[in-house]
Amino acid sequence: MIKIKNLSKIYRIPHERKNTLFETILGYIKKQMDLETFYALKNINLEIKGGEIVGLIGKNGSGKTTLLKILAGIILPSGGSFDLKGEVAPFLSLGIGFHQELTAKENLYLYGAILGIPQQKIKQSLNQIFDFAGVKRFQDMKLKNFSSGMQARLAFSMIIQTDPDILLIDEIFAVGDKDFQPKCISYFKKHKENGKTVIFASHDLQIIKEYCDRVILLHNGKVLMFDQPEEVLKRYREI
Amino acid sequence: MAKGQNYATLRTGSRIKNSFSMKKNTFKYYYNLIKEFSWADFKLKYYGSILGLFWSFLKPFLMLFILYIVFGLFFKSGIKNFHIYLLLGIAIWNFFADGTKAGLQTIASKKNIMQNVKISPLAVVTSAIWHSFWTFIITLVVFFIIFFASGLTLGVNVVFLLYFVFLLLIFVLGTSFLITPLHMKFRDFEHIWDVLIQMLFWLSPIVYAEKLVSSSYLKWYMLNPLSRIVVDMRNIVIYQFLPEPKQIVITTVLVLTIFFVGLHIFKKHGRALLENL
Repeated sequence: MIKIKNLSKIYRIPHERKNTLFETILGYIKKQMDLETFYALKNINLEIKGGEIVGLIGKNGSGKTTLLKILAGIILPSGGSFDLKGEVAPFLSLGIGFHQELTAKENLYLYGAILGIPQQKIKQSLNQIFDFAGVKRFQDMKLKNFSSGMQARLAFSMIIQTDPDILLIDEIFAVGDKDFQPKCISYFKKHKENGKTVIFASHDLQIIKEYCDRVILLHNGKVLMFDQPEEVLKRYREI
Repeated sequence: MAKGQNYATLRTGSRIKNSFSMKKNTFKYYYNLIKEFSWADFKLKYYGSILGLFWSFLKPFLMLFILYIVFGLFFKSGIKNFHIYLLLGIAIWNFFADGTKAGLQTIASKKNIMQNVKISPLAVVTSAIWHSFWTFIITLVVFFIIFFASGLTLGVNVVFLLYFVFLLLIFVLGTSFLITPLHMKFRDFEHIWDVLIQMLFWLSPIVYAEKLVSSSYLKWYMLNPLSRIVVDMRNIVIYQFLPEPKQIVITTVLVLTIFFVGLHIFKKHGRALLENL
């Protein structure tokens, strides 16, 4: 179960970015501290039950990734609070964050350490992970030679190893191919049957319509709608 | 979290949990994380190099070579077994310099991972230093080989060396936690730190003996934890006597203060600074 109360994320955009100590001192002397506040998320209130597949839609820059990142604990909210019951997967931007210069196998060990899976256990389930991702032949290839789709598949296979209570996924269907999509969907369904929650952001409206129980529509950092897929999609097409 | 787990088991009923993740926020979790990250660092660092690992150890010995020529032969320091005296100081300083620099550099190299994965930045910085720490340990092993080859012997007090090695690690970690947020805020801090490290090298008794420092300055001079650790380690290993308990307590208090202040600042500002990197 997820309860979000008045959640906001503010980014302050300095018009002249000060990256060095020298520039900062110069800035103080000149007294030019013009910052523009930008609300990536503004007063989000949501309540999501366990055992739901929730879709997250919205135009680019509407705050989808920011919301997922806050829920995953990767970034801190500027205001408001949220309450999560259960374990959350610690990453969502599939592929990003993997180490490009290391092989697929080495990356899995690294991610295992982040997820808290001991090395031995990964060794045991290595085949299973590579099979699910469908990249078994390439396990000793450096990750930089993987396509973005292959990386995403690998990351997803790794996340589900921990079987988190709340699964947050950002844009998996944009990179995954036709064979991988059904695998993900069937995993989501199984996950749901176990009373767990899936929230996934996607631009694939067909999948959203077909598999989501409810859909969140974000627009300019605000929740416009949180309802049944048909109605939300109708509204989304209007904006 | 405990409440959350109850909720999850309630919902899932008697289903056997097939996940096998470790509990987070435990020592074991962080130890494993730090170990895996330093191992990855290690592999990345030495991909495609011929001498590989050897480079890490070459540096202190090249430094020993040149400093011995200048201060042992040209200036005639008059210190007995000057090569041993010098090497121990260099090894300690090198760990401090390499460790803190690795901690700073890891911010840039692991930025991508830290901004996209929920991972403690503290653990990432620690893993970079962990790597330098092992280099230091191996340098110490080589030091002892040279030590015995020079016909010197160890006293019983050498067991206290372990305590000072530990203290040095804590000092390097604490300093890194203190300066890393600065580096996140100001990208040119790395250059400033380079200069500060050089200053510290000459402000610590590495190539000369602390006895040369005029007594009116000595009180301030010995406030530098690095100086204290160098002097104490030399006393234990080379001169076979234990520093006064009072002095050990002062060193410990200084190091722990830096460590906890650093930890506090890093925990308080690290995450927010990382987002704006």
